[in-house]
Amino acid sequence: MIERAGDAVIDLAERQPPLIVVVGAGGVGKTTLAAAMGVQSAAAGVDTLVMTFDPSLRLKDALGVDESARDAEVRVPGATGAGLWAGLLDARRTFDRLVERHAPDGEARARILGNRFYRNLAGSLAGILEYMAVERLWEAWESRRWQRIILDTPPTRQALDFLEAPERIVNFLDSGALRVALKPWFDEGGRLRAASRWGAMGRSFEAWLDQVVGLDLLRDMAEFFAAFAPLFAGFRSRALEVQALLRGPETLFVLVAGPGEERNADTLFFARRLREAGYRLGPIVVNRIHPPGDPEAPVEGEGRRLLAWLAERDARGVAALSGLLPVGQPLLSLPLRAAEPVDLASLAALGEAFRHRT
Amino acid sequence: MVTGKGGVGKTTVAVALGRALADAGRRTLVLEVDPRENAHRMLGVPPSGGEVAIVRPRLFLQNLRPRAVLDQLVREQVRIGPVVRRILDSEIYRHFAEGAPGFKELAILGHALRLLRGLERVRPRAGRGGRGAQQSPDVDVVVLDAPATGHGLSLLLAPRLTAETVGKGPIGSMATELVALVDDPLRTGVVIAAAAEEMPMQEAIESLERLRSELGRPPDAVVVNGLYPAFPSADPAPDAAGRLWRDRRAVNDRELARLAAAWQGPRPELPLLALESGPGLVAELASRLADSAGGAP
Repeated sequence: MIERAGDAVIDLAERQPPLIVVVGAGGVGKTTLAAAMGVQSAAAGVDTLVMTFDPSLRLKDALGVDESARDAEVRVPGATGAGLWAGLLDARRTFDRLVERHAPDGEARARILGNRFYRNLAGSLAGILEYMAVERLWEAWESRRWQRIILDTPPTRQALDFLEAPERIVNFLDSGALRVALKPWFDEGGRLRAASRWGAMGRSFEAWLDQVVGLDLLRDMAEFFAAFAPLFAGFRSRALEVQALLRGPETLFVLVAGPGEERNADTLFFARRLREAGYRLGPIVVNRIHPPGDPEAPVEGEGRRLLAWLAERDARGVAALSGLLPVGQPLLSLPLRAAEPVDLASLAALGEAFRHRT
Repeated sequence: MVTGKGGVGKTTVAVALGRALADAGRRTLVLEVDPRENAHRMLGVPPSGGEVAIVRPRLFLQNLRPRAVLDQLVREQVRIGPVVRRILDSEIYRHFAEGAPGFKELAILGHALRLLRGLERVRPRAGRGGRGAQQSPDVDVVVLDAPATGHGLSLLLAPRLTAETVGKGPIGSMATELVALVDDPLRTGVVIAAAAEEMPMQEAIESLERLRSELGRPPDAVVVNGLYPAFPSADPAPDAAGRLWRDRRAVNDRELARLAAAWQGPRPELPLLALESGPGLVAELASRLADSAGGAP
């Protein structure tokens, strides 16, 4: 249902835009919508890759792909029109792959992969999932294998983490913190260099440090950063490229929101943040609204009263949102379906909503 | 600890659980960890802004900023004003506090533990005891609305990961203490908030399995939120709205059955209600939670 038409249109039969980023809070149906748009895009003759994060098993079933999509993009069998591919993002494996690919030699590779800090903690470094998504996106974009990439972003409530990841990594790589981390803190014997220079005072400092955080951990961290140092320049330049790509004319954002007036504040906040940060925002999609009932049908019983109330609530929410959006901002609402799409046919039906210009 | 992915009403469940506990006579603090505050609206109080808000007798709400807890920890450990300022202002500390794995999680759990031990007050008191002085705590229960990242289990797993990696010193021993807290089923309860729909239920069941395999414990309950009412089998020829209701309820039933097959423990069910999000809805859901627990949540 098109609530409001606007300038930032999306027509999946066109080659433009070649990169669609689907953003929004968790649990609003982003992944399903991204897949549905992918099915529709491919059906319209555009070679399309849908990249997604840890979707449920059923969605993998619906697209007909398995765990191998974690390592590489897999072709979705049975999709009509042009080719449809799917890729599942796995932060840990992408990180390992980056190391495999970019480490200067076998020894450096083994040093990183065997590092205790890398094995235990690097996977849970704040923002690592988002950063790995950036890397995987760039890898796919650079390959020029697809005419369109539809990216389903990680489910964070604010969902901005993903967009800020490139900037954050560049800031960190440029920061004094990294320079400090890269200093040769430890000597060949694994002793703190400063400690041996400062004599007794240094040794007591070393003992204190060992007490507080543990020298082993610090040694692992220092080794981790040193081993990674040759890779930093590449991280930095790719992060900058992705930053430019996301803000460029090739990219259009689709913001998916849940129904109900109480969610409008979050939706407006996110839309404003996107525009302020220089991203091109396409349609806002209010997903899963309860459709209005038949006005002739009697509203009797607890169940029907609830449904009528939900329909009225959702309509009120969409109307309020429409009134608060800036001029020219397209708004689309999608009705709640009897069941979530579980196969290509039902994904295609949902994707129909995007077939026409919004 | 209430975990669950976004969109299933995790905060609603946490707040309703807090209300139910308070109604049952326990002094309860609901701890929200989200810079975009939400729980206060459901409870009908102004935003907490990091302070403790008194919602009603025995019910408190706090929006916790993990960074503020870490800053406080630095102040307490270092104690020398100018040094504290230099640390807090430094770029290294900032990157560390924002990016270091596990530390935010430790800060959140540590804060909960201090509240329960009476080392942290929900209300400032005249003549505060000396540093670390043990006083009787002024809350009995902390309901933690875990951040909706991953499966929400990172909070539960962080102490173990840190304890294994750091091992010793104040951080290591704090982590070890928190491992003991999280592992003790008498002190820490885990509630998974779920919805009886395809993907949310899949995720809830995966969380269940990870709790068992990685923490070696089951949850205390899986609360299923947002259920459509049972469809009257006598309804002859449903219109579009009736068909939607029937089909959505069929999805609910199928997913409830899937949960029942994966988990035989308590599975309280919360209905969709024709009530705006707010204190009225929370009170209603709280009483349903209390009923399903036989009056003893």
